[in-house]
Amino acid sequence: MFVGLLLSRYLNMSVEGQEAVTTVTPGQYILIEGNDDEYPFVAKLLKFFGDESHKQKKALVQWFLRLSEVPQNKKLLLGRSPHPQEIFYYLGRACDNEINAESILGTVHVRQDNSPPGTKDTLYVKLSWDTKAFNVLDPVLMQDTPASTPPKPALPLFPPCASPTATPVSRGPVRRALPTPDPTVMRRAGSVSDTRATMSAGKRSTLEISANDLLLCLSQEWATLMGVGATKESELIMMDCSCLFPVGSRSYFIYLDVIFVVLLTCLPVLRLHVSSVPESLPCREQEFQDIYNFVESKVMDGTGGCMYISGVPGTGKTATIHEVIRCLQHASDMDEIPTFRFIEINGMKMTDPHQAYVQILQKLTDQKVTADHAAALLEKRFSNPAPKKETTVLLVDELDLLWTRKQNVMYNLFDWPTRRHARLVVLTIANTMDLPERIMINRVASRLGLTRMSFQPYSFKQLQQIITSRLNKVKAFEEDALQLVSRKVAALSGDARRCLDICRRATEICEHSASHPSSTGLVRMSHVMEALDEMFSSSYITAIGCASLQEQLFLRAVIAEFRRLGLEEATFQQVFVQHRALSRVEGLQPISVSEGLAVCQRLGACRLLLLEASRLDMLQRVRLNVSQDDVLYALKAVRD
Amino acid sequence: MSKRKVKETHMPVGECISQVQMILRERFCHQRLPEKPVGMESQHKHLLELLRRTAVHGESNSVLIVGPRGSGKTMLLNCVLRELLEVKDVNKNVLPVHLNGLLQTDDRIALKEITRQLNLENVVGDKVFGSFAENLAFLLEALKKGDRSSSRPVLFILDEFDLFAHHKNQTLLYNLLDVSQSAQAPVAVIGLTCRLDVLELLEKRVKSRFSHRQIHLLSSLSFIQYLDNVRSQLSLPQDFPDTKFYDEWNDSIKTLCEDQSVVDVLQRHYNSSKDFRSLHLLLMLALSRVSASKPAIKPTDLLEASRVCMVDSKANILHGLSILELCLIIAMKHLNDIYEGEPFNFQMVHNEFKKFLQRKSHSIHNFDKPVVMKAFEHLQQLELIKSMDSSTAKIQKEYQLMKLLLDHSQIMEALQKYPQCPTDVKQWAMSAFG
Repeated sequence: MFVGLLLSRYLNMSVEGQEAVTTVTPGQYILIEGNDDEYPFVAKLLKFFGDESHKQKKALVQWFLRLSEVPQNKKLLLGRSPHPQEIFYYLGRACDNEINAESILGTVHVRQDNSPPGTKDTLYVKLSWDTKAFNVLDPVLMQDTPASTPPKPALPLFPPCASPTATPVSRGPVRRALPTPDPTVMRRAGSVSDTRATMSAGKRSTLEISANDLLLCLSQEWATLMGVGATKESELIMMDCSCLFPVGSRSYFIYLDVIFVVLLTCLPVLRLHVSSVPESLPCREQEFQDIYNFVESKVMDGTGGCMYISGVPGTGKTATIHEVIRCLQHASDMDEIPTFRFIEINGMKMTDPHQAYVQILQKLTDQKVTADHAAALLEKRFSNPAPKKETTVLLVDELDLLWTRKQNVMYNLFDWPTRRHARLVVLTIANTMDLPERIMINRVASRLGLTRMSFQPYSFKQLQQIITSRLNKVKAFEEDALQLVSRKVAALSGDARRCLDICRRATEICEHSASHPSSTGLVRMSHVMEALDEMFSSSYITAIGCASLQEQLFLRAVIAEFRRLGLEEATFQQVFVQHRALSRVEGLQPISVSEGLAVCQRLGACRLLLLEASRLDMLQRVRLNVSQDDVLYALKAVRD
Repeated sequence: MSKRKVKETHMPVGECISQVQMILRERFCHQRLPEKPVGMESQHKHLLELLRRTAVHGESNSVLIVGPRGSGKTMLLNCVLRELLEVKDVNKNVLPVHLNGLLQTDDRIALKEITRQLNLENVVGDKVFGSFAENLAFLLEALKKGDRSSSRPVLFILDEFDLFAHHKNQTLLYNLLDVSQSAQAPVAVIGLTCRLDVLELLEKRVKSRFSHRQIHLLSSLSFIQYLDNVRSQLSLPQDFPDTKFYDEWNDSIKTLCEDQSVVDVLQRHYNSSKDFRSLHLLLMLALSRVSASKPAIKPTDLLEASRVCMVDSKANILHGLSILELCLIIAMKHLNDIYEGEPFNFQMVHNEFKKFLQRKSHSIHNFDKPVVMKAFEHLQQLELIKSMDSSTAKIQKEYQLMKLLLDHSQIMEALQKYPQCPTDVKQWAMSAFG
């Protein structure tokens, strides 16, 4: 009874503009204050009500979108350039359809017809947008008094319209019943490609492929295959083939089979390139799950949060997050979770920490402004209770580069998620585990919170699994060879990139030696050893061996002088005395000081010696950059 | 007419000589690439294969070419590029970007240069517009839009790679190597450096993105090969217009390389350094002594050239000093002997000099102190002595601590050769204690 009374009181309400008082009534189209002063949000007012404490006047609205509010990657779906006054009926449900009555700016005329309006203030609507596609708008939806029309059963997608008479007590977006991730989603997300691969593998045995078909498919699609490249070849080909052949038909499976055979046999090198995106990320299932749960829960609750992820380079931090986002995007496409936006910035890819603001704003709204202005705009955006906001997931890679003396960039990044209306999830990545303790001041570290995760370096078993999964069951490596690579890398760094690079090089070496009739075509231990030697062996010893006679003599003189002094440092002048004595012993004509200096400089340029600035001339101090034993070993090898 | 031309294959000697000078100078000044890089066949094959993968198949790569100065890194790369660009498709497609660490001293300049060489949309004429941040974002965006198949491969050639590692945060290297490790436009990052420890300069996340491919150019040339090389470097090519002169010249070169004194000189050079740049300098000096009246390189030319190459730079300066300045140097030498290399100041040197005048000298004037001071300052200007204090302003000139930048052997040698050096000065220099 009381609620009803209040409702009738708020049914009409006046908006105090700067010049005049406008009255808005339900059914009218209104402008609502947003981020952009020039283009405020447009909506249709459905009704007014008061919130639980009766302090604030609220309004229930039906949203309309301008094209600039449609996500960047979906704009192309329109297929034409929009009229500047065109708006779209919003059929999604991710947006809060409750607004503060104070944010209403005024009224606006909206028409629904095909001809663009003549006057500047009138907007027109023709299509609707349901977060996935543009559709022709059903005229029924646009009738002037939706509040009085009974809900149509044909439109279940539109909850605010469907329950216009109910008391608006539900706040926020429609929540799913389960805030925890659906296990089926998880399973699907983790193994999309696996099922695909096994399916085709299973079919292979049951199908006999005629040579004709094979040739046909090969010739037709070879070009596309090479063109598509290593990145997502299998996926794109899947898409291609479903267009070419009816899915499930015999020819479809034959096609699949051919493609897989081609992929498996021809592309081990491509698959081993670090850039090729694997179908799944093996050995990071737990981390994937944790990050997925974190982001999904935040997206579904419409709240914000921070997460700090650390790990040495090449342990799959960025790749795992990308995978999580891909799966979440898939889930949101399936309408399982609300839509969200994903933005990525990288501390290394900007020239100054404050550029972070510029890049975030540019990716959010496509505006290009200066850093200070961008900071102000973002501050406004994240602190004001702007309606119609979807969750933003922000990935900050190489966080340590955003360090400034006042740490205001980091502070802001971690402060925004704590605001009530921000709906911002910040995922940060850096290399060191104790970064928050080491470089952040207390108020920044406190805001970052304790949601931490660290990616351990890969163990040799994991590395082995990664290579095997990349190769996708192709037998390109001998078992021992594979084990050698993974053990070596695991012992050194646990860096998956390094591991893949070595494998790629070993494959190349193997290819070059493949002309031998004895070779099996598999990468063997010897190939891997050669690749490892190339990449990891220290070149100092070879360099000393290949140095000229005088250079070798100079190195001996350095060691002799060190022994005499009992120090690991001597001036050029002192070494040169030794050098001269040694040349006499060797029966060589002694060289002049200038030549001696030239020899010394050459050794210094290679960094076999460490030298002081050359303007000190004879007084520059000389140190060895290699251990004395290495030098003696190398010199002994030369003599023998 | 045509018959006459065939017969007249020999030209006047003067013209032949100028032809020879031109051909050999081009060779020695590195203006023309050799047909095939000598002594680095496997490295050549490796690099060519690698760049071909990028240029033809669009596979991104990164590689470092490491070798001491003058070992032929740039030559190797240029040979490979020449060979690569002979393929027609590649020639049209590949975009080489040349950067040098000595020219592009920070990322801002490097980025402008890349943008200019790639001729991206924000280049008008020779000017690059936009701020540093915009340029970086623009370049990354441009590279990100590309993919393996459709975009043109870009070869980033970073000469003096180690200097790029000193740029702030190594932003440029991170981004280039990141592109080379992700599915974006195909790029090859080729670094040239003479530092063997270059990988230690890279930050760990930059290092992780580098493929760790290194091509080492360490010449293990033997002296026989070195000698062969000298011969082939001096020989004329087959297509030399005058056949008679061609034969004569090449024969003379052959006999030259068999001469014992020449072999000795070359052996000395080989012992000192194996790189071809210093060899070319020597041959260039010998070549410049060839004229129409003396149309061949004689062993004496090479010996003279070698003498010029090997001469001590300070010996020449010492020959130009006055007797007073020489005396001061001798005084300093004695001080060095007495105090075992500890620094000295003007007063000490002056004292020593005065002692010499009083006790032994008969031929040297008694110079006034200001005159001696002037001579001392002149030595300082010539950088034969060097002040040891960093803050020179506070201490009086007479008491500034100095060190001698000369070796004993240099001083003695200079005294031997000094024209009309008074005997008492010589004796003073030889005596153990002043």
